[in-house]
Amino acid sequence: MKKVFVLLVALAMVFASAACAQQAAAEPAAAEPAAEEAAEEVVAEAPAEEAEAAPAIENPVIRLSTTTSVNDSGLLPYLQPYFEAATGYTLEVTSAGTGAAIEKARTGDADALLVHAKASEEEYIAEGFGEERVPFMYNFFVIVGPKDDPSGVKNTATAADAFKAIAASGSTFITRGDDSGTNKAELKIWTAAEITPAGEWYVNIGGGMGQALTTADEMGAYTLSDKATFLATDTSLVILLGESDDMKNTYSMIAVTPERWPDTNYEGAKAFIAWMTSAEALDLIDAYGVEEYGEQLFFTIR
Amino acid sequence: MDALVQAFQLLFGENPELREIIGVTLQMSFFSTSISALLGIPSGVWIGSNEFRGKAVVQRINNTLMGLPPVVAGLIVFLILSRSGPLGKLKLLYTVTAMVIAQVVLITPIITGLTANIVSLRAPQIKETCLGLGIPPLQQMLYVIYECRVQFISTVLAGFGRAIAEVGAVTIAGGNIQYKTRVMTTAIVLQTNLGHFEFAVALGFILLVISFIVNSIVQNLSDRERA
Amino acid sequence: MIELIDVSWKYAARVILDIPRLSFEPGKRYALIGVNGSGKTTLLRLLAGSLLPDTGEIRNVPRAEMGYMPQSPYAFGFSVLKNIEIALAGCPDAEKLANKALKAVGMNALAHSRGNRLSGGETQRMAFARMIARPRKLLLLDEPTSSTDIRGTDQIEKTLLRYTADTGCTVILSTHSPAQALRLAEVIIYLDEGKVIEIAPAEALLNHPRHERTRLFLQHWKI
Repeated sequence: MKKVFVLLVALAMVFASAACAQQAAAEPAAAEPAAEEAAEEVVAEAPAEEAEAAPAIENPVIRLSTTTSVNDSGLLPYLQPYFEAATGYTLEVTSAGTGAAIEKARTGDADALLVHAKASEEEYIAEGFGEERVPFMYNFFVIVGPKDDPSGVKNTATAADAFKAIAASGSTFITRGDDSGTNKAELKIWTAAEITPAGEWYVNIGGGMGQALTTADEMGAYTLSDKATFLATDTSLVILLGESDDMKNTYSMIAVTPERWPDTNYEGAKAFIAWMTSAEALDLIDAYGVEEYGEQLFFTIR
Repeated sequence: MDALVQAFQLLFGENPELREIIGVTLQMSFFSTSISALLGIPSGVWIGSNEFRGKAVVQRINNTLMGLPPVVAGLIVFLILSRSGPLGKLKLLYTVTAMVIAQVVLITPIITGLTANIVSLRAPQIKETCLGLGIPPLQQMLYVIYECRVQFISTVLAGFGRAIAEVGAVTIAGGNIQYKTRVMTTAIVLQTNLGHFEFAVALGFILLVISFIVNSIVQNLSDRERA
Repeated sequence: MIELIDVSWKYAARVILDIPRLSFEPGKRYALIGVNGSGKTTLLRLLAGSLLPDTGEIRNVPRAEMGYMPQSPYAFGFSVLKNIEIALAGCPDAEKLANKALKAVGMNALAHSRGNRLSGGETQRMAFARMIARPRKLLLLDEPTSSTDIRGTDQIEKTLLRYTADTGCTVILSTHSPAQALRLAEVIIYLDEGKVIEIAPAEALLNHPRHERTRLFLQHWKI
């Protein structure tokens, strides 16, 4: 019913767009100066506030490359204003799968990383692009699927057993196939289950978590998701297995060294990591989601 | 530079996924363009060669649809084909068929509009000449189509160019599923995000080549028309 | 007899043509003259059925046996010969008749050229050949020699006179040249601002116009 309504709204949009087509060209020009002003204000106010705490900020913009699970779940948008108010920096967040997120740091298109794939992170540091990985929080992956649970995932105890059950029954499984942290974690579970997933039932969508969940919902399929994004996404899927030991998901931050890319905002990245590991930020993270979903979504490492 | 070299190795090597992607892309573009042409050319001929009440409104709506943002087309098709949508029972979401439907929504207005323009430039003169020779209306129509045929082919190729290069609608309706609905554009987006630039470059190169071929055909046809 | 009764035609609320009564006798040749915008083309299009009158009626036009040559006739992309043959549907000797018509206007050498490669004057001669390729009861010609050179004009005029002598066909043509009207027509109709001002035998109208406006128009005519 809801989608039918949304569909009507979408059709209305099509016809409204006809009317807006010409206006749209004019609007951005008008909107831009306002946006610039806003940005200037932040920059202008910050040094005054932070005069004692920090010296004048040389480069106030931090380009944070992060994973979809942190951004789509709403955690980062929730923390961002606190961070910006406390430090005077402006955070520019781009989100992609962990693999893609790390790639952005490799090509010099990011100052700081917030990702969740230990092996890739260590490889990145070994290549000399970063100095230190700072693990600061974790949560659990969950296996979600249709309510009727045709593979009986509910009766399994570990992720590996659950995956075996899915493969054995041939139920559709959505893999993100985007080299993200979740994707890597999923592949690790298949390895643990001693299964090489392939075939009609194993659907590779090359997309983010939200897209994977929507696709799984549409196809009546199973998928592996981080809990936060699952709760933030509107689907009819249910959690069938959560919080087993083989589904722990640790997030860390890495500052991109200026050695490879001298332009990177190393100071800013350091300031971001320092604030994120401060008691203020950790308290905020622990509190996130409790009100909206009735449970804690991310657990901090102190 | 490395990416370019590797791209060529991929192109001429044995990469089943690359070939699969190109195959799905061509299949999708071919069907969406053909269906759009079958719908768009007759309606364009009719709009372009007849005066009727509400013609201005029809043309305005069509012009609007010509500028329909692809993602909106994708969204509409998604909502219609979604399990909870009106046609959810057909289970067409995330199939090549869904992508073709989304592209037909996008391309048909373009072919209709271009056809109507082409026809409206010649139809009055042709029809008046035919009337003066006692040629019956149906045959007049056939002459109009015959005289505009070269431009129709250009129009269809323009539609094909749009179909093959489009990314927003096919991502939403097709879901970018590997070996099933992953096409060149969505694969380029994915591979660029993953930093697999050589794969993205190889696909981008093929897209450029196809675009070049299509443009050459159009150019050739219009040159021959003029020569 | 072709008759127009209370015929009017408007465009964008402007009256372009207003003819209370006008008739054309069979077998006669008529020329419509008048300034640009006087309604010559509109009258021909109404007779041809390309336009429908807003009021009144037009009677006895032999549409099935009519040939109408618009001001800018269309030349199709196929051969000139085929361009003529499309006017000969149902004739057993279409190709022969088409060649004969092309020869009459001096275009037989271009029979196998493509129609859309012709010049303006050639297109007009070809379109005229289409008109006279078969016997007809009525010819409506809208400035049939507006783009032809003096030789082409002469070929068309002579062919037209021979054709009418052979077939007894009624001709209504428009022209901007009073001299041509005199050469081709028995009766001249002077139109001004969508109204018929004067109808008279050709020589009489040109030499002794009765109406003041006809006189004013003809004073621009110098031989």
